Amino acid sequence: MGGVDAAGAWHADGEVLGAYSDGRLDAAGRWSVEAHLTSCAACRLQARALVDPARLRRLRAALIEAVDVPRAGVVERLLVRLGVADHTVRVLAATPALRGSWLLAVATTLAFAVLAAWVSRGADATMWLLCVAPLLPLAGIAVAYGPGIDPTYEIGLAAPLGSFRLLLLRAATVLGTSTLLAAAASLMLPRLGWGAAGWLLPSLGLTACSLALATTIEPLRAFGITAGAWVVAVAVTVAPPPPSSVLFSAAGQVAFATLALLAAVVMMVRRGRFEADRGFDTTPRFAARRLR
Amino acid sequence: MTTPASTVQARDLTMTFGRTRALDGVSFELVPGVTGLLGPNGAGKTTLLRVLATVSAPDAGSVLTLGLDPRRTDQRLDLRGRLGYMPQEPGFHAHFTAFEFVDYVAILKELHQRRARHEEVRRVLELVGLDAVRRKKIKALSGGMRRRVALAQALLGDPDLLILDEPTAGLDPEQRLRFRELVGQLGEGRTVLLSTHQTEDVVALCQQVMMLHLGKLRFTGTPLELAGLAQGHVWHSHKRDPGALGAWRTGTGQHRNIGNPPAGADLLEPTLEDGYLLLLGGDQFEEVAA
Repeated sequence: MGGVDAAGAWHADGEVLGAYSDGRLDAAGRWSVEAHLTSCAACRLQARALVDPARLRRLRAALIEAVDVPRAGVVERLLVRLGVADHTVRVLAATPALRGSWLLAVATTLAFAVLAAWVSRGADATMWLLCVAPLLPLAGIAVAYGPGIDPTYEIGLAAPLGSFRLLLLRAATVLGTSTLLAAAASLMLPRLGWGAAGWLLPSLGLTACSLALATTIEPLRAFGITAGAWVVAVAVTVAPPPPSSVLFSAAGQVAFATLALLAAVVMMVRRGRFEADRGFDTTPRFAARRLR
Repeated sequence: MTTPASTVQARDLTMTFGRTRALDGVSFELVPGVTGLLGPNGAGKTTLLRVLATVSAPDAGSVLTLGLDPRRTDQRLDLRGRLGYMPQEPGFHAHFTAFEFVDYVAILKELHQRRARHEEVRRVLELVGLDAVRRKKIKALSGGMRRRVALAQALLGDPDLLILDEPTAGLDPEQRLRFRELVGQLGEGRTVLLSTHQTEDVVALCQQVMMLHLGKLRFTGTPLELAGLAQGHVWHSHKRDPGALGAWRTGTGQHRNIGNPPAGADLLEPTLEDGYLLLLGGDQFEEVAA
């Protein structure tokens, strides 16, 4: 293990220090050597010469990484636990729909819809929730990306990450959170049944339709148009008494599922156009929509 | 002909917003080192920097940056990975800490490997002197510190081209000094283009200077050459010379005049600011710039 020098001081031998430097010692051996190194300058000097600088840099980086990374928020930690990549989680964390104030606003809106259902308790009890729920993801995504909305929009344009990918990531986050909250609201309705989930396919269809439209016009305008179309459709089709709408019938649900699929195809086909529109593109059609 | 060392070659860049011609046939080349872009408000500086940062497209003209053509999608993405851009009014996700914000931009720059990315974030925050406040939320940082956060994100990935839009605006003299030190170091071995109103920044930092006015490039050259334009056009007098294009009272009580001096005027050695003001001064001095 070691030997004694002329002055009577004990020193670790080179083989032990080499094994320590390479990380080949077991825990007990490491602790023994480290306890000795704290009090022996000669052995410290010898060990320093034996350590591979690249390994030392790796260890230092690992140590800093372990102690210096800021603690992520609750939602971020949850998403990482669910298997979402940490870099994706960081991008999602910049989405307003993951912030408390937005979630509170959505929850409050849904609470009013549920309250209205309990107050009426009639055949129209679910109608408020069915009409309101599909609008929530549209509003959330509309304020998640675009010039004047995303504070880092300009910095993002000068970065290589695709703009459409960023929009899709944020759209998925908004859709996910608003769907979870709307599902919870559905469970609180006075009458449970499949009819209470009638908002789900319209929600998916309208969101996909807005994203497809955003490959042609500004996202904010795309979501505004889709939301307006939904409001008009509800106003025209909801017919008392008792309040019902073809939008929530079986045929309506099939139509929204089809719309979602078609819109997804359009999105995939036209996503390149969305990327080209944001940033250096000389197509005159897009000239009016650039930053100034 | 282009010189082999040039990193940016811009040809006849033109861009209009409604009736305003923000860029009017602008052509230039940039070489490694720090180049200052001078010009008054509305000169077209920000528009030009946005074009170079691939944030905006010109109506006409072409630009080749680091040998890449931003009109081609693959080359544009490659170029974005090699440039750093600090906008004039950088936006922040204020609920992020300084570390989280720079980390977020690092992800936009597609630095996905977690440990390597975090190391890079620490490196750039240390470089701008924000290591100690990296855990503070952006909303708790001063204006000067926020600008340094914005600079830090531009330095991610050690870019070959650094585009800084008025980086010293709103900084106090001490912060400006630190900024100059840093940008001066960054200019060694890479191309830095910074726009500014501050002629002192150009004198202190830049090897080259360009001046933009009403969308036109009015001058390219060295700071010394810009100052030299005013040679024989700066004089002092006890009272403001009515024939001067511009004049102001200095601390000595004398008036410093710029323009066409009267016969026998007491001429002064011009500064870069004199050259800049002279170029801004009016059409009668256009021949001076030619």
